[in-house]
Amino acid sequence: MPILGNGTGLGWLILIVVALTVGCTTRRTETSRADDHLTYWTSTNPQEMEFARLIVAEWNRQHPEAPIDWEPIPAGVSSEEVLLAAIASRTTPDLCSNIWPGALEQYIEARGLVRLDDFPDFFSVMRRRMPDEMLARFRSRDGHYYQVPWKTNPIMMLYNVRMFREAGIDHPPRTYAELLDAGARLTRDRDGDGEIDQWLMVIDLQPVWYKRMFDFYPFYLAASRGQPLVADDRPVFDNRAAVEVFRLFRELFRRGYVIKSLSYSDPFLLERVAIKPNVGPWSIAEIERKRPGQLQYDVAPIPRPDDVPGPSITYGDYKNIVIFSTSRRPRAAWQFIRFMISKQNDLRLLEMTEQLPIRQPLLADPLFAGFFRRQPKLIPFARQAFHTRGTDAVPELKEIFDAIAQEFEACALLGLKSPERAVHDAARRSRLILSLR
Amino acid sequence: MNRSRRNQRKVRRKLESIGYLMSLPYILHFLAFGAYPLAFAFILVFHKWNIYLPMKWVGWGNIRFLIHDPLVWKALWNTFYFVLIHIPAQLVVALALAELLNRPVRGRTLFRAIYFMPVVISGVVITILWQQLYAQDTGLLNRALTAVGLPRIPWLTDYRLAMPSIAVMATWKNVGFYVVLFLVGLQSIPRSLYEAAALDGASEWKQFWHITLPMLNPTILLVLILSTIGGFSLFIEPYIMTGGGPANSTLSGVLYLYKQAFFFNRMGYAATIGFFWAMMIFVVVLLQRKVVERDVG
Amino acid sequence: MMKRLGIYAALILGAIVFLYPFLWMLSATFKPELELGGFHLIPHRVTWENYRLVFTKIPILRAFINSLFVSATATTSVIVFGAMVGYALSRLSFPGRDLILNVILFTMMIPAQLTLIPLYTLIVRLGWADSYQALIVPGMMSGFAILLFRQFFRTIPQSLIEAARLDGCSEWQILFHIVLPLSKPVITTVGILTFMGMWNDLLWPLLVIHDRRLMTMPQVVALFSIGGLAEARVGAQLAAATLLALPIIAAYAFFQRTFIESMATTGLKG
Repeated sequence: MPILGNGTGLGWLILIVVALTVGCTTRRTETSRADDHLTYWTSTNPQEMEFARLIVAEWNRQHPEAPIDWEPIPAGVSSEEVLLAAIASRTTPDLCSNIWPGALEQYIEARGLVRLDDFPDFFSVMRRRMPDEMLARFRSRDGHYYQVPWKTNPIMMLYNVRMFREAGIDHPPRTYAELLDAGARLTRDRDGDGEIDQWLMVIDLQPVWYKRMFDFYPFYLAASRGQPLVADDRPVFDNRAAVEVFRLFRELFRRGYVIKSLSYSDPFLLERVAIKPNVGPWSIAEIERKRPGQLQYDVAPIPRPDDVPGPSITYGDYKNIVIFSTSRRPRAAWQFIRFMISKQNDLRLLEMTEQLPIRQPLLADPLFAGFFRRQPKLIPFARQAFHTRGTDAVPELKEIFDAIAQEFEACALLGLKSPERAVHDAARRSRLILSLR
Repeated sequence: MNRSRRNQRKVRRKLESIGYLMSLPYILHFLAFGAYPLAFAFILVFHKWNIYLPMKWVGWGNIRFLIHDPLVWKALWNTFYFVLIHIPAQLVVALALAELLNRPVRGRTLFRAIYFMPVVISGVVITILWQQLYAQDTGLLNRALTAVGLPRIPWLTDYRLAMPSIAVMATWKNVGFYVVLFLVGLQSIPRSLYEAAALDGASEWKQFWHITLPMLNPTILLVLILSTIGGFSLFIEPYIMTGGGPANSTLSGVLYLYKQAFFFNRMGYAATIGFFWAMMIFVVVLLQRKVVERDVG
Repeated sequence: MMKRLGIYAALILGAIVFLYPFLWMLSATFKPELELGGFHLIPHRVTWENYRLVFTKIPILRAFINSLFVSATATTSVIVFGAMVGYALSRLSFPGRDLILNVILFTMMIPAQLTLIPLYTLIVRLGWADSYQALIVPGMMSGFAILLFRQFFRTIPQSLIEAARLDGCSEWQILFHIVLPLSKPVITTVGILTFMGMWNDLLWPLLVIHDRRLMTMPQVVALFSIGGLAEARVGAQLAAATLLALPIIAAYAFFQRTFIESMATTGLKG
């Protein structure tokens, strides 16, 4: 009795091949687009998609000669992976507005982007929104511009006003000494059961590279008054500022001022901690929605070492606009960008997404005044917006932050290394990474 | 006569061609998914490649990076640490259980089946289960400790304990397999050896030491080699339980390779780590073979 | 007598050590969050909430079907081609036969880590990332299976094959109608080993599949547990793990002897 039926070997071979081809669904659906249409990819954030829908509809009404189709960035591991893959397969759209500057150099290396300073009115358009020295920070390694700085999310510190007042402190900590002093007063056993149940602050403890963009990096920028991590393809953070930041966090952990327990879903909302130092304007709406009635909080700049003068500089999580080199109508794409970043549309962006357009002046302009009257919590962010830095123009940025994250864990969280040693080792690893070009 | 010879040759030709035809799928598959990746591994070692853009020749760059990369050596040390705990534990427990099962006991198949169960179950399941057993506040192990008045142990959150904890879990998962191997080994030892020893008045312990152990030498070598290869292939456990932490204390070679390839898109460097890792496995297995065979001789 | 009692005590203790965690896991999947810390195996209050969470948060059913399809296809292929090549290597003689044999022995000595990344890049270059081919095709042949078949076929009397040839059977017919029906033990061994290996593998699917609809069951369960989707709910993570273990445990319950013997051959070959 044959177990495998009557088929011959070849028959089986064919059967399996057929089974495979039938079973394998083809998943890539090529977006068919008419020749004169431009494609625009937005972020997948619902508010931003709504913003895109609105302005694209308006554009298409006014410009039937250059119609635009918009869609969110296709799903993938991360939008960088998706964009890199699209660049490699030359399936990029005409433009995209969800570009994190930290990944930009990789796209340039891949020759995926259009040089924007070739447009004759590039600088005049930019000057209407920001001063030259700010624009200069978005210049790429080759000295040219490939991105339109669009919106920013300055990272700032939230603090619980009531908890501070009850601890006898009337202003948010501005220096490390004040921060540590607040820790001593605020970290305590509230219900007297012998275990600490109130802490000074919460940060994300995972040793993952991008988490350090929201704690180490803003503190480093504040401490160094905006120095880069990498300059001329060499790490330049083996300095006092980085050591001070590592030392501060090591001290905060050593004294137990940072909550380690994972039992509270958001300890700041539950008033178990008094400080959350890694917050951008995007989270204000969520906090406002979820916050229990008695929570009184305010926004303050990132603290600095005692001898560093203000104002605090912080990390501004930028999202910028680019045109891809696959575009057959880069001029039309540029016209659309000009439309997209007009003052009127910047107001829409602000109102719909609560993210700050990179436009000066923001607070003084009467057009935006109404919005900030309704959303006073965003005023500190708007004030901070021009004291921000993005990320350094280096393709290996992720790996450098990973090296910092590793040492941050070893030094600050676990106390295994001195701050000097940890910073030095992170810089050495970064040099190694940058040497492999 | 002449005709039949020609006929024979024709038959042989036909059989030969069928032989080729039957082997053809394997040959093609080997060329595509065996030989090509193997050759390409050598090429990748000398290139930087993020898979999206053209490859870039970097010469000895990856190898220099590897030599100077403390994380590679950390992963290597972690692997030795794992193996150092895992192998002795494995040998002792497996040998003890096999020795007990090799006696005339009721329900032997049932016991064997129970000990073997973790072997067939996915490492993902075992790891998720043990993660709960090891959990700091809610884990069963710490609950048991606090119930008898002992302090909690930070099984997975202390950088000194995390790897030993993983090694204990791996032992629990694999030991049933080695029980079976030892059982096979034990059953192949001729009874007459024990009878002769018993006549000479050798105690049971002495018999075990002088007959059982030496006779099991090939099995022990096998267990050593398989456990070492297992140690060098460690991935699921740190991937799910610790992500390689705390402070890279559970970073394994394969996990590091995975991170280089998929977090940082460094295909060339990841391939270099794979290459280095394969070499380490070769060296260690050869050393073990040498040592154990010399002991036998 | 004391000694026998001691032996049984040790064996039973061992059985508890290996069995209790599984039983606790199974019972924990039916326990509400608050009961999870307990050692008891019968939940005071039975809840289906954990399973509900698994089924609503992750495509576990789809993943189950993916895993089943992938494992079954690869296993069938390994058996069919393993038998074919094994037959050619044991029953047909042709120039280069020993070379093929040596190639197989050589491939079995290569640690998987060496070819992992190049194999992955090959899959990407073929455009197979996020496809069933990526999961199946590299596992369609197994040198080890070929060797097992070859060894088994050598025990089949040559006279049987000669007789069939005289009757005018083609070699294909001999293989599939005469030799394979006699080879149930080796088919079972190869089948169990291949299916189990494919079913339990995590690393390869993690490399080549990122589309949730194509993920295999171990992958979905692992990502459920380490990603935030389980909402830190221990019961739900264990429920997902239980679902992943269930098919293999069910098969093991019926064929434990075959499982153990099959696995033992891998060791004894090594």
